[in-house]
Formats: sequence, C-alpha cells, structure tokens
Amino acid sequence: MTEAALTPAALARPVVTEDWLAVVVGFAIFLLAIASYFGADLIGWVVTTAVWTDASKALAPAAKSYASLGGAGALLTTFVALLAVLSAGALVLGADVKKFAAGFAVAFALSYASWIIGSYASLAVVTPADQAKFGLSWSLKLTNEGGFLIALIVGLVIANAFPRFAEWLKEAIRPELYIKIAIVILGGFIAVTAAGKLNLASSVLLRGLAAIVEAYLIYWSVVYFLARKYFGFSREWAAPLASGISICGVAAAISTGGAIRARPQVAVLVSSLVVVFAVVEVLILPFVAQYFLSGEPLVAAAWLGLAVKTDGAALAAGGIADALIVAKAGAEGVHYQPGWILATTATVKVFIDIFIGIWAFILAYIWTNYIDAAKGGEKAKIGEIWQRFPKFILGFLATFAIALALALHADAQSLPKLSAAIGEANVFRVIFFILTFFSIGVLSNFRKLWEDGLGKLAAVYFVSLFGFVIWVGLVISWLFFAGVKPPLVG
Amino acid sequence: MSNDLRQNNLKAELANPVEPLLPIEKKLIGWSLGLGLVLLAILVILSRLFPVA
Repeated sequence: MTEAALTPAALARPVVTEDWLAVVVGFAIFLLAIASYFGADLIGWVVTTAVWTDASKALAPAAKSYASLGGAGALLTTFVALLAVLSAGALVLGADVKKFAAGFAVAFALSYASWIIGSYASLAVVTPADQAKFGLSWSLKLTNEGGFLIALIVGLVIANAFPRFAEWLKEAIRPELYIKIAIVILGGFIAVTAAGKLNLASSVLLRGLAAIVEAYLIYWSVVYFLARKYFGFSREWAAPLASGISICGVAAAISTGGAIRARPQVAVLVSSLVVVFAVVEVLILPFVAQYFLSGEPLVAAAWLGLAVKTDGAALAAGGIADALIVAKAGAEGVHYQPGWILATTATVKVFIDIFIGIWAFILAYIWTNYIDAAKGGEKAKIGEIWQRFPKFILGFLATFAIALALALHADAQSLPKLSAAIGEANVFRVIFFILTFFSIGVLSNFRKLWEDGLGKLAAVYFVSLFGFVIWVGLVISWLFFAGVKPPLVG
Repeated sequence: MSNDLRQNNLKAELANPVEPLLPIEKKLIGWSLGLGLVLLAILVILSRLFPVA
C-alpha cells in the first residue's frame, strides 16, 4: 500500500496494475537467477552484506564470478538496476517518474544503510563462537535481520518528525509493491527449501487450510460483531475494519470496501490503521515468539502468519523470527535449517490471501442482494472474484512450481547449483523486504491518523487483536503445528 | 489525507445514531462462526489422522 494508493482517486484505479507489475519484476528476477543454474550467471552482481566489524569488508557481490566489482561496485550496480526497472514500473503505474526516481534513490540509500548498520557485529552476532570470531565479549543478538527494524525505525522517524520529507518521498513509498515482488521471488526459495523434505512441506500446506477457516470465518465474524454491537460502527465501517483486522490488512480492507461499495476514504483510514498496528506487531511479536516459542518453531511461524496483518509485516516478522529462533536453538546445540519458519509464515499468509477475491464476492453478494437491495444497487457479478483476486499470488505459484520441478529433477551434484541460483534471487528478496520495512515506517504518521479520528477504530483494533486474534491464533497454531519441527542441518 | 477526508472525519460520523444489526448480518455472523468451528474441528481430526511424517 502506498500513500498514493491510499488516496480516494487512486483507489478508483484498477488494483491489478501493481499486482501484475510485481509479477513481472519478481518473475524476471527469478528467471535471471535460474539462468545461472544453466551456466549463465546474469545477476551475481547483486550486493550482499555480511556481519562486519571492518566496514570495508561488509559488502560484496553475491557471486564470486563478479568479485572484481567489489562491494561498492556491487551496491552501485544493484541500485542502478533497481532504479531503472522500478522507474519503468512507476511509468506503467502512471506515477511521476522523476519524483519516483528521486524518492527511490533516497529510500534505497536510507534503507540499505539501515541494513548495513544492522549487520554490525555488536548488533547482529548471536552465538558465542561468532562473538569469539569477531573478538566481542557481548552483542545485542539481533541477528543481521535487525537491519529490518532499523529501516522501520528510520522510516518512523521520518514520518513523525519530518512529515514534509515523508511527503516528498511518497511517490517511491510503495510497500505493497515491494512486498509483492518479494513474495513472487519467495515462491522459488520456498520450493527449493521444501523439495528436500516433501512430506513436511505438504503437511505445512495442508495445515494452511486451517488459517483460511480461522481468518475468514472466525476472526471476521467476531470482529464485525464487536465493531457493530459494542463500538457502534456502521456497516460501511465495520466490514472493511473486520477484514483489515482478520484477513490480510490493506488488500482485504480495500477489497471489502470495494465489494460493499463503501466510500474510498473508509478503506483509506482502515488501511492506515492496519499499517500502524502491523508496525507495532513487527517490533514486538518476533521477540515474543523467540522467548516463548523457540521450542516450537513452526507454531511460532504459523502464529505470526495469523496474528500480524499486512503481507509485508507478516513476512518480515517471520523472517526476523526465523533468524532469532534458529540462532537461539543453534546456541543451545540444535541446528535447524534456516528458512522453514519464514516459509511456514509465508505459506499461511499466501493461503489467506488466495481467498480475498472469493470473500469479497460473498460480501458483495450479501450487500447487494440483502443490505443495499432497497437502494437499487447493482448486483455482484461472478467476474468480481477474478477482479479482486490478488494477482501476485499467480507469480508466487509460478516461481514455486518451476523451482520445485527443477529441484525434483536435479541430481545430488546439481541441487547445490540450483540452491545457489535461487539464493541470488533471494538476495533481491531481502532488498525488497528492507524497502518494505522502510516504506511502512514512512507511512505511519501517528499524529495525523489520530487527528483524523482514528481513536475509536484503533480501540476496536486493539481489543480485537490483543483480546482474541493473537490468542486464538496461538491456540490454533499450537493445535496444528505442535511437535512439527524444521529439519536439522545435515 | 485530503481536505475531503477531514471534512468527513470519523468523529462526526460516530456521533450518528447506531444502525441496528439486520437479520442478514446476524445470519452472516452466526453461520460464519458455526461453519468455522465445525471446519476447524474436522481439520484438527484430519491432522491427527494424518500426522506429519
């Protein structure tokens, strides 16, 4: 969701455009990465950041074949490539390309600087062995994914202390676009991770069904009832609010608003609220998960997928929890394969996303045939399911299917090559995650939202989220994932 | 936020009389919750019958 996307005028535009752009960009990155599996390393120049104490050694290209570029060269190449591709994307979206390019340059610089700072050894190192390696007697143990939180905090500072600067950046502040691209890329990463343990992966998929039931049937009905009965909201406000809190935040609130023909500003305010609460959740819940649920990593993963709203924030929380829990278990001598917690969170979230279109159609049918019938409104058409379907999911499914097919046909010698190829795409996924965190922060101007009268909406959100969403999510995650552990390394 | 939004701010709207729950809304809430609980119970049973290998 971008600030631009949150204006009533922008909401009238077809939402599919940004979804399809995410599919094109994400899929292109995936295909370029796959090329290296067949012998042509086309994106090995993408910059990666290692945990560091000597800043000159922090950055490097992802592939050794591009080592001559050096860290700074890789960073510059990555920036130029992303600027060119995303500026072309901004043009397709009808954005002001000059403003986008200028804003993106600053957003990228601040986001990536946050990531580099987050990889500083005193912040990131977790295990005693790594502390010894860097000559440290202590560290904050945030893992290098703590850089996500730094990017978020930088964004929050800009939004709340420098609102004019935030306004200047807004054309490039597109967290929904960035996270959708990341999700498309993530499909391939999940497939390669899952290919080695197909039994476990298929079990995780089956248990994703429970997430759909929980989000659409249980959460939605309770939040809607609460908002209508006890907080006195009209139907126009209660339905998008229930979808925002229950399903997957911004996309659900906008789809529901459209389905029941609510005024665009209803979805705008609800979406803003969703983002603010998602920020709070990302800052707190991964650490809660690490503290209380490190013995049940996939319970933690599913719980984050159910409790944290917005795709970006949920996957971000899953990524942080992945790093935190794997590191904590590693320090205790249990070495889980990294990526399973994030993959489970993503699976739960993707399952929930798939049904947005169908749910919007059901609500549209009820509203037009029963609630608005007296007003003579148009009846819902079956095509609205496709219209409201989040198209980026198709990109996710495509990268997942292709990478899974390649992994299942790869022999023992070529599988590491495939993992390395997907790893290059995954570096881009991390960069889009960082941009998402920064963008979510920049959109969260707490004072402005409060002035617009969001206090009572926030009260419903707070009561629903902390009153039952996170607890019911925890119980159901426990029922379905207790005892299911990620595979061990080796 | 636009001026339009500020003029139509939420505080003013909340001062309006509360819309009563219509029978169709009660049906939607009841059926969703009931169906959700039944489906969850079925899924729990299935997950016990087919545990993770």
